[in-house]
Amino acid sequence: MARAGGRAVTGRRLALPAARAAGRAALAAAAVAALAALAPATIVAAGALAAAWLRGWPPRRLAGAAAWCGPMVAAWLAGTALASPAPAWLAVAEAPGRAWLAFWHLAAAGAVARAAATAAPPAIPAGLALGALGWSYRIRSLRSGAGGLSPAAAAAFDRRQWRHQVRAARARIAAPGAVPLTTRGGLLVAGAVIRSVGHRTGPLAAIGYQRMRSHQVVIGTTGTGKTTLLLRLWAGFIAAGLARSAAGLGAPPLLVVLDCKGGADARRIAERARRVLREAGARSVAVWPDEASLCLWSLPPRQLTTTLVDLIEHGTGGAAYYADVMEALVALAVEAPCGPPRSAADLLARLEPGWLSAAYAGAGTGGDHALIRSASRHLADVALRFRTLARRLGGGLDGPGGFGDADAWYCILEGTDQVPVAEGQARALVDLLASFAAGGAQGREILLAVDEFSAVSRRLPVWQLYERARSLGLAVQVSAQSWQGLAPSDGERSRIAAAAEGGIWLLRTPCPEPVTALAGSRAAVQTTRWLRRFPVWAHRGSSRPEQVPVVDPAIIRQLDVGQAAYIYRGGVTYVQVRRLVAGPAGLGRGAPRAAGQAPAPAGGARGAASARHGPGAGRGGCREELPDVSPVLDAAFGPEPEPPGPGAGP
Amino acid sequence: MAGAARAPGAAAARESAGLAFTGEMYGVQLDHLAAVLGVPQRRAAAIVARWRRAGLAEAQRLGPGPRWAWLTKAGLARCGLPFAPGAPGLARLAHLRAVTAARLALAGTPQYAAGAARWRSERRIRARIGGRLGLREHVPDAEVAWPDGAPVGWAGECWAIEAEITPKTVARTAAIMRELLTRTGDYGCPPAEVLVPGRPARHDRAIYLCSPPALPVAARARARLGDLGARVEIRPLPPGAAWPAPGGAP
Repeated sequence: MARAGGRAVTGRRLALPAARAAGRAALAAAAVAALAALAPATIVAAGALAAAWLRGWPPRRLAGAAAWCGPMVAAWLAGTALASPAPAWLAVAEAPGRAWLAFWHLAAAGAVARAAATAAPPAIPAGLALGALGWSYRIRSLRSGAGGLSPAAAAAFDRRQWRHQVRAARARIAAPGAVPLTTRGGLLVAGAVIRSVGHRTGPLAAIGYQRMRSHQVVIGTTGTGKTTLLLRLWAGFIAAGLARSAAGLGAPPLLVVLDCKGGADARRIAERARRVLREAGARSVAVWPDEASLCLWSLPPRQLTTTLVDLIEHGTGGAAYYADVMEALVALAVEAPCGPPRSAADLLARLEPGWLSAAYAGAGTGGDHALIRSASRHLADVALRFRTLARRLGGGLDGPGGFGDADAWYCILEGTDQVPVAEGQARALVDLLASFAAGGAQGREILLAVDEFSAVSRRLPVWQLYERARSLGLAVQVSAQSWQGLAPSDGERSRIAAAAEGGIWLLRTPCPEPVTALAGSRAAVQTTRWLRRFPVWAHRGSSRPEQVPVVDPAIIRQLDVGQAAYIYRGGVTYVQVRRLVAGPAGLGRGAPRAAGQAPAPAGGARGAASARHGPGAGRGGCREELPDVSPVLDAAFGPEPEPPGPGAGP
Repeated sequence: MAGAARAPGAAAARESAGLAFTGEMYGVQLDHLAAVLGVPQRRAAAIVARWRRAGLAEAQRLGPGPRWAWLTKAGLARCGLPFAPGAPGLARLAHLRAVTAARLALAGTPQYAAGAARWRSERRIRARIGGRLGLREHVPDAEVAWPDGAPVGWAGECWAIEAEITPKTVARTAAIMRELLTRTGDYGCPPAEVLVPGRPARHDRAIYLCSPPALPVAARARARLGDLGARVEIRPLPPGAAWPAPGGAP
């Protein structure tokens, strides 16, 4: 009895798998039969699946293609209804079935082309939708770890898809005209999308102009395509800003680049930037200090005093006393009754006891005279420090010109060779730009791009720059070779990242984890699978939701040249950046400046004075004199009329 | 006898110069042409009639004052001027008259003759530009070049001439002044040469010749330029720029 019971149990145990296998076989046969019956749609679906696999498309791209077939299907149904004697609704309802029947009849008769044409209107959208469903199922099953022959299949699939996606993106950026600098909607196009997580993107990676008006961070080691990306972003900012300005939607853009590396490489990039920006619409690109100059002495006197004192390094403790003495003396020299100094030489000439006494002889207060008497013994030391400062700053800040004179400024700071010089120059340039922005900026929308700012950040921390810029309404884009290069301490780095409302561009870097962590995590399903015997895994196991990082650090480490990850609001878009190819450099470049010769102003004027203003008027250190042309103009047209007074008629 | 032989030659030279002047300025009114030719207005009318018979010019009353004369295609070809022929635009007649008057007034000064200055008209500038005029480019009404070595203090300078009859906005006028004073390249040069920081500006000065309503606007625009405004000279339009009183026209 017991043996009979055991036989029955064994029989049931053997019968159950056999029944399951038979059921599966029947299901598979039915599926194959259905797919064969729906051959036209099946062929399209297979093609769509193959294309999506080969190009690394997301399933929504196939679904979108199926949706775009809607007008074709509507036209086909309308045509069928019009041609049929039956009621329209009946003709429409029967149309897919009739097309299917006609397909098989024509195919059987050997008219394959006609058969395909007959079945195409319903088969193409159906096949694309079927392909989208199948592709989505495949991706989801692999991502969850349930698909594939082994648990490692998911990783292999992802690597393969990344290669396909990169290949497709490279093909897109290689196609002429496929990646414009800006879209018709005014978006800045960085390149072709490789892959996105948490961002809704199309084939092109585009960001809004307003993101360029917010702070951004760019991180990438040398040789990863950082300059190419920056040039593209700058050119896009200029092009989009000019288009907005022309449409009356905003003020003209002003781009100020501080290249803190210096050297021959910076000059090569400056020339490339000049060509690229000109093609983007910038009418004038000034390269400081090689070809254009700025006038530090155009700062308002009180701000000039502050800037000059800040440019000198002070100690703390007892040295603070000397800092105060220095500030008092500089204030006396700058805010003298005869006006502020017009050049570095003028300032140095003022730091003499005799000059200060003479300047304040008739106009100074008792306090001024007392200060001159008491502090005059320090004047020689203060003058010595400012003589050193003037030598470091060079002539680039002594000439005429202002940020408003050009559409873009490329400022080269020798941060590699002469760190103290670059630090002083950076501080002065930022103060000048801040003054320009605070003075209304002539209605310009300013982007300050700082490349390799770590070279000079000792005197001006980036976070301080960020916060100061925010109050002035200008956007700052800081780039560094690594996360650690942004600032000396973790706290400062975090403050910088927190202020980067315009997003973070991350190129290949050996230690991306701190930055990738900023993108956060997302929910994903992780599945464990039961190993039957190597290498066969059962399709059984357990799944559980887990948080995985939005940005995979391993991908960042493996990014190729010209590839970047754009991290913004908890999502990431991997971009194949399109390199901007500018035209050749203009012929007939200006003659090289002799050593020691002051650079020309950005405005390009030979001089900006006239006899009307007189040699002593204004800031004579920033301009020369032009000859008086009144004789000929008076003879031809008469003297210049007096301007009408306030009570003059209309 | 020799003097009698020179006189017709000199008259022919003057007529040739008048023909070229007419071509360069788009068109001129007979009172201005008479001043160019150095003859009474009635004689100028007869000369224009001869040009018309030769197919070199057309003349017609287009607006107030005397008739306007302009060159035909044959006339432009005779002068070697590479311009598209056509009658002066009605909307620009007052402006063209003002520019012509300014040219005549400047040419009448001893410094102009002594300095051998050269007037480059807007039509000549536009012909050099061809169809490549940028959307944001402003073309002056004329340029006056003073050759190096001329016996004047401003030898070597190039001036941009602007005749302002109707006032623009201060912002627009200031923008034009700034553009004229910062431009570095010649008109028609490659875009990369238009404004190259560090190079000398093309125009050392901008000469604004203004009607009474436009004068305060130009003055305020100049004041907006700051230091750059020192290179802007403002003068009234010469008397010949206004339409002549009715009744004097032939």
